[in-house]
Amino acid sequence: MKIKDGYVLRNVAGNYIVVPFGEKSLDFSGLITLNELGANIWNLLEKDTTLEEITQNLLKEYDVSEDVLTNDVKEFISQLKGANLIEN
Amino acid sequence: MQEKICVAGLNVAINLKYNKTKNQIQKYVKDFEKQNLKIQISDEEFLNIKNELNYLSDEDIEYIYTGIAFYEALLNFNGFMLHSSGVVVDGYAYLFSADSGVGKSTHTDLYLKHFGADKAKIINDDKPAIKIKEDGIYVYGTPWSGKTDKNLNIKAKLGAIIFLERSENNWIEEISNQEAIPLILQQTIRPKDKNLILKLLDMLDLLLKNVKVYKLGCNISSEAVQTSYNKIKREV
Repeated sequence: MKIKDGYVLRNVAGNYIVVPFGEKSLDFSGLITLNELGANIWNLLEKDTTLEEITQNLLKEYDVSEDVLTNDVKEFISQLKGANLIEN
Repeated sequence: MQEKICVAGLNVAINLKYNKTKNQIQKYVKDFEKQNLKIQISDEEFLNIKNELNYLSDEDIEYIYTGIAFYEALLNFNGFMLHSSGVVVDGYAYLFSADSGVGKSTHTDLYLKHFGADKAKIINDDKPAIKIKEDGIYVYGTPWSGKTDKNLNIKAKLGAIIFLERSENNWIEEISNQEAIPLILQQTIRPKDKNLILKLLDMLDLLLKNVKVYKLGCNISSEAVQTSYNKIKREV
């Protein structure tokens, strides 16, 4: 799975901001704010990846158990899917 | 016919047919040798706009769309537009932003009444240009100033950005970057191109690290000016 094309993520003065561009900006003119974990997951999702890969990558950075992290990643991805931002 | 103007430090060749824009650019006419950009609305583009927005007159189409072309190009030159009324006091420009009709021009007009026209000046009543330069962040007047011709061919350091709303009482508070980002992005031209979006976001990043952003609730009075200016004013 990966993030659909047409969105950029940028750190703007300490805030992780996702903004649509191109055709995407016509049907969605708002923006999405992410926390740091969300931004890290988003970055990994810019290339085709899996839940397993994402979790393993983040375990190197976050000092939490694999179960907790897997749940957090799952929840974030389901939010992205709900917002129609993920393609398989 | 083609005119040569200098706006926000850019040498612009602009092709115009109608008097409205020709009058607006008069203060900016300047000869140059090296052109930074060319603004021209092709006949085909003009017709497409005319068909889509049939309530606009030909001269309004030219005025609005040459402005859009300028502000989109400005993103390539470390600058962007903020939909706001900008007033300069003691060398600093303060940009009052809001949706159309809320009263940003009314508020900056009160500045002129309060301070006098020799101390306070409208740099651009609707669409000032912001430029990120090595020595600071500047506001420039441009020929595109909305419904009025209030604009000056000057620059001033950006003092603050203030989002204005109507209120019975006058109040002002500084807002967080998180609150400011969507407000600013709603009041500028958002480019469709990915690289230009990234440039805009990077300019916003620098701006927010250097300039304060406020929310102001105000009525139409001299007290409203005192409330805002006492909080936003920069020491000269």
